[in-house]
Amino acid sequence: MARVLLIGYGNTLRGDDALGPMAVERLRPLLADLASATGSAVSPEVELEHCYQLAPELAAQLAAVDLVIFVDAAAEGKPGLVRVERLSPQSSDAASSTHAASLTHHVQPAALLGLTIALYGRAPEAILVTGAGANFESGEGLSEYGSAALNEVCRLVPSLVRDFLHPFRPAAAAGCSIPN
Amino acid sequence: MPTITIDPVTRIEGHAKITVQLDEQGEVQGARFHVTQVRGFEKLCEGRPFTEMPALMARICGICPTSHLLASSKACDDIMAVRIPETAGQLRRIMNLAQIIQSHALSFFYLSSPDFLLGMDADPEERNIMGVVRKYPAMARDGIRLRQFGQRVLETLGGKRVHPGWIVPGGVSQPLQAEQRDRILAEIPEAIKITRAALQWFKGQIENFRAEVRSFANFPSLFLAMANDTNEIAAYNGWLRFIDANLNIVADHITGTDYQNYIGESCNDDSYLKSTYFKPLGLADGMYRVGPLARLNMCQSAGTPQADEELAEFHELERHSVLSSFYYHYARLIEILFSIERMQDLLHEPGILGKNVRAHASPNKFEGVGILEAPRGTLIHHYRIDENGLIETANMVIATGHNNLAINHGVLQVARQFVKGKCLEQGMLNRVEAVVRAFDPCLSCSTHAAGEMPLDIQLIAADGEIVDRLRR
Repeated sequence: MARVLLIGYGNTLRGDDALGPMAVERLRPLLADLASATGSAVSPEVELEHCYQLAPELAAQLAAVDLVIFVDAAAEGKPGLVRVERLSPQSSDAASSTHAASLTHHVQPAALLGLTIALYGRAPEAILVTGAGANFESGEGLSEYGSAALNEVCRLVPSLVRDFLHPFRPAAAAGCSIPN
Repeated sequence: MPTITIDPVTRIEGHAKITVQLDEQGEVQGARFHVTQVRGFEKLCEGRPFTEMPALMARICGICPTSHLLASSKACDDIMAVRIPETAGQLRRIMNLAQIIQSHALSFFYLSSPDFLLGMDADPEERNIMGVVRKYPAMARDGIRLRQFGQRVLETLGGKRVHPGWIVPGGVSQPLQAEQRDRILAEIPEAIKITRAALQWFKGQIENFRAEVRSFANFPSLFLAMANDTNEIAAYNGWLRFIDANLNIVADHITGTDYQNYIGESCNDDSYLKSTYFKPLGLADGMYRVGPLARLNMCQSAGTPQADEELAEFHELERHSVLSSFYYHYARLIEILFSIERMQDLLHEPGILGKNVRAHASPNKFEGVGILEAPRGTLIHHYRIDENGLIETANMVIATGHNNLAINHGVLQVARQFVKGKCLEQGMLNRVEAVVRAFDPCLSCSTHAAGEMPLDIQLIAADGEIVDRLRR
């Protein structure tokens, strides 16, 4: 059985930064349906996580899955823009010369993948989905742009999971999209 | 007066800097640990309903929200004048122990192990958790696994790893389910195995750090921790006790109603961190330490079998109190072992799945104090409310504040050993930082940030000229 991990991260009290955790909550029933309705022998076991930021201990979970999808809000880029990016693990050597050098409880997705390989000898396929927000001030609730990006993220993620399970279908390629 | 500034200090929780003052002959004359950012929770909560305090106060920190949640809830229990159900008390204890485990694991494995494993003088580019991952992956995996265990317990009980709810005035919001209990119990043997292995390894390393043992805030001081009738580790319930370096009890049976007779708080012009002191001796002589070292000095036994074996060995380190702050690291590992064992005991209590977990009441007092042992030391929340239940004043006394005078003294001690004249050396920088790190100061009550921070040390002559500078 294919194992998929969806991690949405961000601060729910900083406006559009809540996009990641909100995506996880909205996708929870959709991905549960997907898991039971793929009609194939590779119906996925989907695990969902939401957190404030990526932490080193997530490496143990990453090592146990086949695909990880990170969902995060982006402070840069045209508000509402959704980007899909396939990630490669950052080597631990490279990580040492970056912000990961003194990582304690905060780490970037590629560095987390590198950490996973260094510690457990393997890392899953990885995709980063970001939605550009417009407001990151203190307060709950998404802006108009953040909401539009959230809708697009929630449309894209199930198709990314399906593409992973059925690799010979036309893939939802990495790239950008702006919701209508 | 010439001054050396280390700004910021790395691999601690929050933002701080250190200054070392030299006299005209270039000898170290003084040293200060400064917290450079303020958050002001004591002011911003004024006017809020007291029932909101646990959720609000948990936001003080992303590392120890559970500790603030617990201390705040205890203060609210006091305002309501309720005695919470026994099951709720046991469940809160489990949360506190899980918090101690995950925080100590973070401190030992993530923040401090690079110093032990890679050496105090190793290149800072290498002397970090990624360096540990490359050279000692098994140790890194163990650290991750142990912290994950503590966080999973917090998540299982509180619903979230960071800023969990669930602990409320009067108890907890939901009882524990059998499936949750069994899930935690299943992970305990591995957590104990990891901790024992780390203890064995660390004890074997101590001989390599004799200079640090001698010079890392190694001086007589008072110690403060919670105490109880059995003289075991008291992490959740008990009263406050001060002991001296010879293990004599200096003040005992201090409660929330009279702690201000014994603990004075002093504000500083050059730091947002308050300095607390033992009031009967005054600010100049009232320095004391809290946290794992204080707790292990205070107790006669841990109260669990494996931790007791380790504690007996720890107490053999010195004739009276263990004084070197380097041993905070050792004490943390013993406390992790104690916490896992105690958690196991509590989960086997017959009433742990009881459904009566919350007492309900309106305010019955205008004042309440909650005290417990957070990972870094004694934590006090003290609230006064008006007739509408709104917060009039709030006072929080946190572990790093208790330790502030000792941290300053420790920085001075290590600077005197390693600072030579007007020339700065990397080794001095590493050790001044490391002595602060031994206390595991959590400055998130002032700020909350982590990541790579530049390090800039300036040696400034009396005329203002920068005579030497180190950066990284």
